Amino acid sequence: MPSKAAADTPLFAEREEWADVQPLEQYEGVNPIAPIFYSPEYKDATGYFRAIVQAGEKSARVLELTENIIRQNPAHYSAWCYRYETLLALLPPPAEDADAGAQPDIPPLLAAELALMDELAVTFLKTYQVWHHRRLLVPLARQPRRELAFIQRGLAVDAKNYHTWSYRQWLLAACYGRGAAADPAMPDAVLDEAAGVWAGELDFVDAALAQDVRNNSAWHHRFFVVYGARGQADSEAERARIFRRELIYTKQNIAIAPSNPSAWNYLRGVLRETNTPFAAVQDFARLYAYPHSADETRDVVDLDNPAPGADAELPCVQAMEFLADAWETEAGAEMWKSLANEHDTIRRQYWEHRIRDAHQTIKPAVE
Amino acid sequence: MTILLTDLHVSYIQKLGESKSDLAYHLSSHLRLNAVYWGFTALNILGRPEALDRDEMIAFVMSCWDDEAGAFGAHPAHDAHLLSTLSAVQILLMQDALDRVDAPRVVKYILGLQQPSGVFAGDAFGETDTRFLYCAMNALSLLGRLDALEEPLPVNSQADGGSNAVDTPVPQTRRERVLEYLSRCRNYDGGFGSVVGAESHAAQVFVCVAALAILGRLDLADVDTLAWWLSERQLPNGGLNGRPEKLEDVCYSFWVLSALAILGKVPWIDAQKLEEFILSAQDLEVGGIADRPGNMVDVFHTHFGIAGLSILGYPGLADLDPVYCMPAALVERRGLRTGWVGLPRRSGGA
Repeated sequence: MPSKAAADTPLFAEREEWADVQPLEQYEGVNPIAPIFYSPEYKDATGYFRAIVQAGEKSARVLELTENIIRQNPAHYSAWCYRYETLLALLPPPAEDADAGAQPDIPPLLAAELALMDELAVTFLKTYQVWHHRRLLVPLARQPRRELAFIQRGLAVDAKNYHTWSYRQWLLAACYGRGAAADPAMPDAVLDEAAGVWAGELDFVDAALAQDVRNNSAWHHRFFVVYGARGQADSEAERARIFRRELIYTKQNIAIAPSNPSAWNYLRGVLRETNTPFAAVQDFARLYAYPHSADETRDVVDLDNPAPGADAELPCVQAMEFLADAWETEAGAEMWKSLANEHDTIRRQYWEHRIRDAHQTIKPAVE
Repeated sequence: MTILLTDLHVSYIQKLGESKSDLAYHLSSHLRLNAVYWGFTALNILGRPEALDRDEMIAFVMSCWDDEAGAFGAHPAHDAHLLSTLSAVQILLMQDALDRVDAPRVVKYILGLQQPSGVFAGDAFGETDTRFLYCAMNALSLLGRLDALEEPLPVNSQADGGSNAVDTPVPQTRRERVLEYLSRCRNYDGGFGSVVGAESHAAQVFVCVAALAILGRLDLADVDTLAWWLSERQLPNGGLNGRPEKLEDVCYSFWVLSALAILGKVPWIDAQKLEEFILSAQDLEVGGIADRPGNMVDVFHTHFGIAGLSILGYPGLADLDPVYCMPAALVERRGLRTGWVGLPRRSGGA
């Protein structure tokens, strides 16, 4: 709903430089079912907007007008759309790069637009249009590093914001992914950075998980980076190396905080992606699927199977679920009974379904 | 234990049209037609469709027609959008006034929003999202024009990423492109995101699963893994969240619950606890339902709370078709019912 514009901003109707425009009133049907009661500022601005659109004007003052509307109502998609069209009309045509490696300078108008978007994105973090407008600007500005830094700042404010992460994924794929390599407009310098950028993303995820190891968006992003859009044809040795790395990484994070659905989902995802049976990791899962035992020893450190800390809450439900899925049916049933009756009773019916299902069919251990 | 305060919800919905600045906060012009759909669908499920004037509603819907685009905007004089176009079709169908729609033009508008990758944009602005893909499938289906998807999708490049596998034939029809896009949105946890590469989210899971149901291709979902992921959305307080480690919300209860119904796995969650959660989010004085207990109500959560209760078999409610999020009887009469399963309707007073 429109928020109030600054109290001391004159209405467009009161401004001399807009005197040549006749605002168009909004049509209201007879007996409207759900009337909207707008502020005078919103009625004023949208009246002038309708007039401008009808006239097809695409001037600098249109940017001011659409900004005014957007600040009052960031979901007004027509205002965003027309703003973008106006920008395109006002920006100089993209310069031919004499040197293919050179990054083009951003025209001041575009720089100002990016700065404005930086500001609005913070205020209107959950509005789709803000993000879509940014995406439209990326091929114009061609400065993905700047965008990555912006996203990082956004996530510092709201670490799980769906739009922010989705935008990062889109940006990476568009600028450094499989499709980017085929885009003749993408500067070689940008593409050359790609390997470094993808490696940097692993650090980025690591930092996010250090803040909150249960951030599902960060885990998802890791999967996207490792197995998603890079488009590299890895050798078998490289794939194996990546697999070992991801296994250790996930296990270590589970050891830090065992009851973490995102980490266990990630583990399952990595195993499936590499066609590895869950049973291959059962020794690790076993460490988490039972209560602490009196004779636990902490002397031997097994790097392949990092153990839970002494203060970890055991048994860990996700470990029990994982183990049950890894095992043959009979052994799994005991886990499922324990989940149904004691450890995850809210999903009792689901666990009882698994037991019944296992009785009916012989399920292989491989997923 | 709380019960569903039907009369209060009816009066709440009726009063949405009146001058109340605090309620108006939840209505803005870009959502207005959607809001009418939410309110009217809720009334239908409550068994009180006559609570809003039929002629007035139809007149309002038609006043949202954008003749330049050949579709409906959210409000008179607003540009057409796919979300409002779907709402318009749904409302008119519920009002038995679908003949008021210029169907060929609307179909053309919808098809014009499909991108080379198969997904749909929401409007001329071009934002793409699986929500819009669902809206397109839903609207085309209700208009009886799913056949329009059999035509080839005009594409001249695969600039936004083509097929992964070398040996699969390049999809050609609109329908094949849609299915391919949905497959690419499937994540490692079995869920679906807003676009290819995006995190699994309950609302996006719903739209993708419902779209697959409309197209008769639920086989493209990893049903067991996804249904389990959906059941894991239930928190100890009975409410459902949208993704791991996030807060419960009444609307997620619908997105998750309807997806489970489509997959035939509603029993995998604790229905009684969910029902109690939804009922506890009602406003006991003025009616309406909020996103969670104690918060301010709005028509969006009122609609989805009542829809969720219907799927859970709450007594006295009409059946809701989770695929179309409309009265099930209506969908069935049009021959569009799919294999979804809700909980049996309990008898007894509401």
